[in-house]
Amino acid sequence: MTATVEPSEFKFVSFDADLIASIADGLVDVLGIDRPVHVIVDEATPLARTRTEIGDTITIRVESGAFEDARQPRHQSELSTAATLARALLRARDRISGGFGEAPADDDLDLRQIAAWEVYCVGRMERLGVPVNPQRWKYNFRNRHGFNDIADAAFERIWAADGLSWGELEAVSTAGATA
Amino acid sequence: MADPFKPRAPFAPWDRRQLPGMFDVEETARRVGNYKWAEMKLFEALGGWIATVPELDVKMRLGTHCYHHAWHAELWHKRLPELREMNPDRLTLPANDAMVEFVAALTEPEAPETTIEKLVGVYRVFIPHFISAYTFHMNNTSEITDAPTIRTLKLALQDEFDDWRDGEMMLQSLIETPEEVDRAAAHHAKLEKLMLAAGGIAGPGSIGNLPAVKGN
Amino acid sequence: MRKFFPVDSLARDSRFNQITMSQSQADPRSPLMAADTDKRPKANRLQPSRPDASDAARSLMHGIFVGEIQALEGAGRTCHDFETGTEAPFALKLDMARQAWDEARHVEISVKLSEWMGSEIGQYAENTVLFEAACSTDPVLRLAGVNRALEGLAIDVFTTMKEFGGIAGDPYLEFCEDWMLADEVTHVKMGSDWLRRITENDPDRRKKALEFQSVVDKIFSFGGTRSDSQESPIGLARRFRELAGFTDAEVEDIADVSLRALEERKEFTRQAQADAVEQFAAS
Ligand SMILES: [Fe+2]
Ligand SMILES: [Fe+2]
Repeated sequence: MTATVEPSEFKFVSFDADLIASIADGLVDVLGIDRPVHVIVDEATPLARTRTEIGDTITIRVESGAFEDARQPRHQSELSTAATLARALLRARDRISGGFGEAPADDDLDLRQIAAWEVYCVGRMERLGVPVNPQRWKYNFRNRHGFNDIADAAFERIWAADGLSWGELEAVSTAGATA
Repeated sequence: MADPFKPRAPFAPWDRRQLPGMFDVEETARRVGNYKWAEMKLFEALGGWIATVPELDVKMRLGTHCYHHAWHAELWHKRLPELREMNPDRLTLPANDAMVEFVAALTEPEAPETTIEKLVGVYRVFIPHFISAYTFHMNNTSEITDAPTIRTLKLALQDEFDDWRDGEMMLQSLIETPEEVDRAAAHHAKLEKLMLAAGGIAGPGSIGNLPAVKGN
Repeated sequence: MRKFFPVDSLARDSRFNQITMSQSQADPRSPLMAADTDKRPKANRLQPSRPDASDAARSLMHGIFVGEIQALEGAGRTCHDFETGTEAPFALKLDMARQAWDEARHVEISVKLSEWMGSEIGQYAENTVLFEAACSTDPVLRLAGVNRALEGLAIDVFTTMKEFGGIAGDPYLEFCEDWMLADEVTHVKMGSDWLRRITENDPDRRKKALEFQSVVDKIFSFGGTRSDSQESPIGLARRFRELAGFTDAEVEDIADVSLRALEERKEFTRQAQADAVEQFAAS
């Protein structure tokens, strides 16, 4: 199974579609994703948002900033590409493999829920060997839960967790949110 | 309670300040003018170098120290009219031509690879000479008539000591090889010789002249 | 050490990557062109309610960090580049030395805040545009460009960040921005005072300085980054600008200039994207 990437050539940025596909392939293997992956890059904006649609294929829509090397604008960063795709695929796997059935659709997640789920993904990514900066995710978590010890304790629990269900994740996040 | 109207000595027993001092008003003004000129050259050099050093910690320290020496220059500038020098610029002068030469050599390094030379000039030569000239002045001027100069010297000296320590620590952390020790020493020697020719921040006599001792 | 230091020689360690204003302006992409949907209202103002608020704040904080380095370098160069008395008054240079110390503290604060927000030194490209404004060989123009335009921008940025920290409940961010804001208001006041004093009897020079400031203000509106519009990440801090000595008319001028910059950026982006598509088709 080989990931597909759209567009195959880029006009506004120096990205490499083959590189994106090979990074996605590697992640599909490591994460045990059971279906094809299609990545669509919106190169017209430097923002870094992603949206994932799960059907027979997992379609990940990415704004170019998410794959970009912030040190060298318009150039691709392998690390950012891997980290962005890994987060999207881990979320997709959570939804596919059960336990996340009652999670709201992506568009209906609120910012606190998104932050908690991100931490759950990035903690697992770190254990898979993807280099991450925990403080970045803690800062986002604090912005959505509160700048205090209760929120920090919730962050640590989610970061260290594997095999959470949506209900469990939501319970820790809600308890940690005093903001 | 003690009787508040009982006569007391104007100088308390613990106040041992002495009236005599080595410098008259004119000599004090001359020295202060030299101090101001030298502090100005120092803060201008530090300010200019900020953009030229790649080491982030050094960059920030230079910015901080730049202000210290500008403030000293300002204090000396304000002291001059109090010393009957109503046109402070007239006495804002280098001690002599050798001092001008010293400053030119001090400020010569610009390349980003020459942080050691920049710091050696300031923290191993210029600032130690401020410390010695200020200390000599503080210990030899009249403790009563020239108290305002002493106060400024003490404030400036506090900064000089703190900045010297900062600079020396930066240097020790930047010098990593025997070759760099040699580089620092060579530049130090070059500048120290120029300073020797100048005789110090205020010229010959900056730290007094040791009286000759007759042998037996 | 030479007088007048070129922007491309600014010394940095290996973590940094510098880009010029023209390089960054050549980017045909712009967040201004993001699609407007119900879920995603077209507001780029940096507020915690933005879904990407944390990352946007981290990126802006890095921009502040490198901006403070350049402000530090610029203030330091003004101490060195001009001869005391003949080219710049002694007291002006003392103000610049004081500013160098303030900017050094701002670098320290920004490093600490960047760490707190989870970014690393050099993680983002450094746009050297701020120092470019500090390269004028006329001290009055330099003060107009640096102390009034650059420091004015700093007032806008810190006000936006302070509000961001306040709403998010981030105790460090709000605390630090509040302190830095106080310093920047002082720096703008220095610029306004010196501009008035030095050009008191030289209306031509004053006019030139104000024109230069306006040019720099437009550049600093960074193609729409700072304006009254909610489409701009950074707002115009009217109250603090007033405190810093800007007249109402001057603030209105900056508001106009930055709105124009926003519209021009949108037009540029449309054109640049069309050109890129055309070039791609031809190749
Ligand atoms: Fe600043
Ligand atoms: Fe400033």
